[in-house]
Amino acid sequence: MQSPTPYVPQHKVRIVTAASLFDGHDAAINVMRRIIQATGCEVIHLGHNRSVKEVVECAIQEDVQSIAMTSYQGGHVEYLTYMKRLLVERGAGHIKIFAGGGGTILPTEIDTLHAAGITRVYSPDDGRAMGLQGMINDLVQKSDFVTPLVHASELSTRVFEKDPLAIAQAISSAERGDSNLVAFAIDAKKSPVLGITGTGGAGKSSLTDEIVRRFLLDHPDKTIAVVSVDPSKRKTGGALLGDRIRMNAVSDSRVYMRSFATREANIAINPHVLDAIQILSYARYDLIIVETAGIGQSDSQITDVADVSMYVMTPEYGAASQLEKIDMIDYADIIALNKFDKRGALDALRDVSKQFQRSRLLFDTKIEEMPVYGTIASQFNDPGTNTLYRALNDLLIARCELPWKSNYEITDEMSEKIFIIPPERTRYLAEIVENNRRYDAHVVQQSQLARALWRVRGAIDELSGTHIK
Amino acid sequence: MSTKTTTVSVPVQEAINILELRAAELESQLHSDVRSMLSSWEKKKASYQGEHFTYSVRGKEIRVDNYSESLSHTRVSKISLPQFKDWGEIVRWCMQENVPGEFPFTAGVYPFKRMNEDPTRMFAGEGGPERTNKRFHYLSKGMPAARLSTAFDSVTLYGEDPDHRPDIYGKIGNAGVSIASLDDAKKLYSGFDLCSPTTSVSMTINGPAPMILAFFMNAAIDQECEKVIRERSLEPEIEKKISEMYSAKGLLRPLYKHGDGSVDLPDGNKGLGLLLLGVTGDKVLPPDVYAECRQRALQNVRGTVQADILKEDQAQNTCIFSTEFALRMMGDVQEYFINEGIRNFYSVSISGYHIAEAGANPITQLAFTLSNGFTYVEYYLSRGMNIDDFAPNLSFFFSNGVDPEYSVIGRVARKIWAKAMKQMYGGNERSQMLKYHIQTSGRSLHAQEIDFNDIRTSLQALYAIYDNCNSLHTNAYDEAITTPTEDSVRRAIAIQLIINRELGLTKNENPIQGAFIIEELTDLVEEAVYTEFKRITERGGVLGAMENMYQRNKIQEESLYYETLKHTGEYPIIGVNTFLSSKGSPTIIPKEVIRSTTDEKEQQITNVHSVQTRSGKETDDALVALRQAAIKNHNIFEALMEAAKVSSLGQMTNALYEVGGQYRRNM
Repeated sequence: MQSPTPYVPQHKVRIVTAASLFDGHDAAINVMRRIIQATGCEVIHLGHNRSVKEVVECAIQEDVQSIAMTSYQGGHVEYLTYMKRLLVERGAGHIKIFAGGGGTILPTEIDTLHAAGITRVYSPDDGRAMGLQGMINDLVQKSDFVTPLVHASELSTRVFEKDPLAIAQAISSAERGDSNLVAFAIDAKKSPVLGITGTGGAGKSSLTDEIVRRFLLDHPDKTIAVVSVDPSKRKTGGALLGDRIRMNAVSDSRVYMRSFATREANIAINPHVLDAIQILSYARYDLIIVETAGIGQSDSQITDVADVSMYVMTPEYGAASQLEKIDMIDYADIIALNKFDKRGALDALRDVSKQFQRSRLLFDTKIEEMPVYGTIASQFNDPGTNTLYRALNDLLIARCELPWKSNYEITDEMSEKIFIIPPERTRYLAEIVENNRRYDAHVVQQSQLARALWRVRGAIDELSGTHIK
Repeated sequence: MSTKTTTVSVPVQEAINILELRAAELESQLHSDVRSMLSSWEKKKASYQGEHFTYSVRGKEIRVDNYSESLSHTRVSKISLPQFKDWGEIVRWCMQENVPGEFPFTAGVYPFKRMNEDPTRMFAGEGGPERTNKRFHYLSKGMPAARLSTAFDSVTLYGEDPDHRPDIYGKIGNAGVSIASLDDAKKLYSGFDLCSPTTSVSMTINGPAPMILAFFMNAAIDQECEKVIRERSLEPEIEKKISEMYSAKGLLRPLYKHGDGSVDLPDGNKGLGLLLLGVTGDKVLPPDVYAECRQRALQNVRGTVQADILKEDQAQNTCIFSTEFALRMMGDVQEYFINEGIRNFYSVSISGYHIAEAGANPITQLAFTLSNGFTYVEYYLSRGMNIDDFAPNLSFFFSNGVDPEYSVIGRVARKIWAKAMKQMYGGNERSQMLKYHIQTSGRSLHAQEIDFNDIRTSLQALYAIYDNCNSLHTNAYDEAITTPTEDSVRRAIAIQLIINRELGLTKNENPIQGAFIIEELTDLVEEAVYTEFKRITERGGVLGAMENMYQRNKIQEESLYYETLKHTGEYPIIGVNTFLSSKGSPTIIPKEVIRSTTDEKEQQITNVHSVQTRSGKETDDALVALRQAAIKNHNIFEALMEAAKVSSLGQMTNALYEVGGQYRRNM
């Protein structure tokens, strides 16, 4: 079958993708979300095992047109109809739901779900008739609309009350260029902004999640907004907005999160992030975190919008001279050296601290006092991350003159990896190979000896006129 | 080894003398083991050629017939040995192949297959514990041994409690049984003596495995308490105690009750395990009596819990805790097993099945599974455990597809494991023996022409049986589209029975040994596994590779490769992409599927709610103690054994999230 050409959306289409609650089957949704991205959409991928509440809150905060779900573990009728109900209850009935689950969703159930307002459930037969791209074209085409402004007349009031849908739609309006709609926010007193940037794969989103988690614990009455920016693909216009999948702390009611695609090549910050900051400030979020992907030169744009900025890197940057090329070391207030369990971490801590010192000419200050912190964000309750959190908190308080009180306990410990496999044992598999090959070589050698012996004995027997028994 | 019979001329004698010198030199270079291997070879052969073979297992002498007779009166050897004369061949064969039951165990870990016990597991899991219990009793009726294999619903698999929230509600008791408390576990296995040598229980659960295992162990302990109570005729007194406890709280006692409200026990269930429903033995028996029951139960329970968290992160996704925390709990479970002398229960089933189901080819399945197994070994060793204290508690679980490599998967696994265990880790013979369960591939079942699936399953089962698997599950042909029915399950079991009992060649127990292609494939697959081991090492070992999602990506790539070849037809699948019927072999859609009933769901919610609340402060204290155990680096499983008595699955899971961290998804 000839695969149809990808549909070209007229509007900026944003779609949430996920697999249902208690469902680990993520292969299909991963294939789908890639095709959706390649069809020019911005995809907020949540991965597997997601509750209806998590998906719906994400869809609303992200102001998406559609949700695409897979469900292979049963309970799809309850799951999807509940999703529809929750969307409607929260004023977001315009968000369309698409789903698939292979043969686990029976034809009669597909009818039930369509009748209940699920836009489309794709069956295995649909898959065969339409092909993957055909299904995605159908989905994207049905999602190609401007999300209706739900709270048009009272947008500012709703934003002020932290209504997530209103905030989401205000931000989208700004992003679309309807700046008059969000004029109300222009003069809002700006909330403190923490900027986080860093190289891809440094663990920015894990670290951001850990900071959010600690902030929520530390300040039980405060709210936090996270704005995260990922690059758009120049070729298709699509983007994978992949930060949410790693964030466990953002499903708290005190958190609003919004993912942006850069929508232009070679920039790290979407120009409308500034609008978003204004709108979120108007909504009186106590702290706004802006997280951007580092793409070289433009990393330092973050410092233009942030009160305090943090650069996330790992000990794996190569030679110390490479550090001289990293602009953000010159601009960031704080540096997180994440994945501190990697080899050479202590050297890296010293080298980065030195580079920081050099760039600020802080030669009178001890190198240990440079704001460079070793962290292992992937490790639960990591002491380095605790120290980093406290430092960020203190700096925000000082710089923005905040009346906050932090009770977050920190210890003097350095981040230390609690190893499952001791570092000196990490070559165990290679050692097994060597061990087993040694045995095999021994077998070959012994077998050759035995054969030679057999032949010699045979020759002796032949010469002496006897036979081997 | 030779005798002179004639005299020879002088030059010949000189040559003989030179050769004798050479022979002496060669012989001195032979390893003493190899010398005795050669000298005992004929004796070894003879031991398989007499009428009987005698060997001992744990001090017990076992006598086995060496032959069976066919209808044509042919004597078929149980173990057929090579006709080699060349000592080089004999040495190579003894060191790389050998007879079943001898190092390196290539042909099998035991000298002979067990008699009169078909390795058939009774697989069930649907609705509430009562329905599954009924099914277990139906399946095991008239069978000499009860091998209960439990599938849990997805709510349980993710460590949560049943609830009215619709996204949870729809999944209660579907595709597996809902188990959220000790009461549920007691009902599930009621009527089976969990400490009997003929009962073994397998539990397919991973993320919340420690909690479910704690439920199971407590259920077994309370069964022992119940036996004591009945022996001493204490029932009226105990009954009174329990009634008072419940009436003091103004609560109703939990009941074994079916969804339709009936409280009848199914055929075969005499009620063992239900006397102490709603309480634990320590509440009604003196501490010393309880301690005895506890010890007896722990030392006698048999079974397997899957609990393989590495493959979850690599392939199957039922991770709930951060991987490091989950591994730590696995270590705690194993340590507890050692301390309590739990010898007949496998603490982990290191699984390649899900890796293969997610799309990995057989080599990747084997390499990843073995590498995961060695990772547990290294971790447990680093915690100071002794290799021979835990290695016998490890078991393996593979998938069996139709690829050629599957004909040797068990051979290669056993060989690699044995060599590493013996030489590198210094493990004893029990530690060297890799035992595995194997299941025919679910991925190779297709939703078109589903009748053909049994043919695929038969061929896979044949591979597995020829390869001397320790146990086998054959899938039902309709599993690709629905929950199997009693009829389809019966057919699947018949596949095993026909191979084991009708097929003449299986009367021989090493039918593939000595085939050129089998030996060649064994070498190729072994070598390919080592290559993969090196790739993983380059990435920092199994855990390092997982950080970069190496395993996950490789599995996905291989899955895509298969799908592409299937799609283009280059990889033929009969009735799916070729040899289509006149109607085009359409996808079969089931008319209806078995789902749990509203009554069952409601009952599970009511019951778990009662468990969550009925013990009040005791529950709170147990959960605090659980968190403290985690924070203070004490054995978490010890704390779970206590918490499981008074709290629900979800309560324990959520308490542990606070101190261990939730799983972070990756992409």
